[in-house]
Amino acid sequence: MTIGEASTVFDTSLFIPELRYRKPEPVLGEMVTRASRAGAVTAGRFLRTSLALRERLGPTAVGKGVAVPHARSIAVLEPRLVLGRSRQGIEWSAPDDEVVRLVLLVLSPAEASAEVHVEWVARAVGAVRTVRQRQRLLDAESFDEVASLLREVIA
Amino acid sequence: MSRHADLLELHDIDLLLRTVQRESCATRLRRLGYRLEGIDALRRRRERAASRVEPRWIPTYERALSRYGRGLVAVRERVCQGCFVTLPTSAAPDHGDTLTLCESCGRILYWP
Repeated sequence: MTIGEASTVFDTSLFIPELRYRKPEPVLGEMVTRASRAGAVTAGRFLRTSLALRERLGPTAVGKGVAVPHARSIAVLEPRLVLGRSRQGIEWSAPDDEVVRLVLLVLSPAEASAEVHVEWVARAVGAVRTVRQRQRLLDAESFDEVASLLREVIA
Repeated sequence: MSRHADLLELHDIDLLLRTVQRESCATRLRRLGYRLEGIDALRRRRERAASRVEPRWIPTYERALSRYGRGLVAVRERVCQGCFVTLPTSAAPDHGDTLTLCESCGRILYWP
């Protein structure tokens, strides 16, 4: 299994311009619900459990206001990226203590190898590595702007 | 949620453990900024999940895990995602159940 093009792993229904919650667990729930509605996930409740287990391994906030939670799970049907933004910020135990304003949820089916999944995660982290990239995602006013940036850095 | 949720959880914990125990993957994740501090806690969680799984599934699961790296695979469009054999209609689980065995490869099949 390979990583799909950005256009196939990210669509308009997977962009949440303003996340409703300020804690990681409900935020992940909101994002999993989106992925379920988009048909990329079965057993959403179970996937939330897997994501919570991943958080126990160590918070998936990677600093600079970004979290990239991820799961390789039997509940995931196809690779998907869900992007959420939070103007108020999410308390996510980041290494630099900053609140999280951008969340990129990376989902891989269980059939993906560990290496492919980690590569997919690395691309998502790479998409928000620079201040300019993060600011463009935060300032984007439409899905098209967000999708355009992700296509540049992920595809 | 499936009544076999404990087996699904065990499977996903094993996937996660295999990822973070692979040195190349763990190194890359750390370079990306992730902290991987809870591996022992995850192993304990695995033990707890395994203890809750219906005992009849455990030997099959562990044998397939050891042999193929995964003890449980999904069925998609009647195809085993482990060995890619098309399953006969009769291989589907009884109503209300979600698990059977793949007679071709011996993995446990999850019918979502």
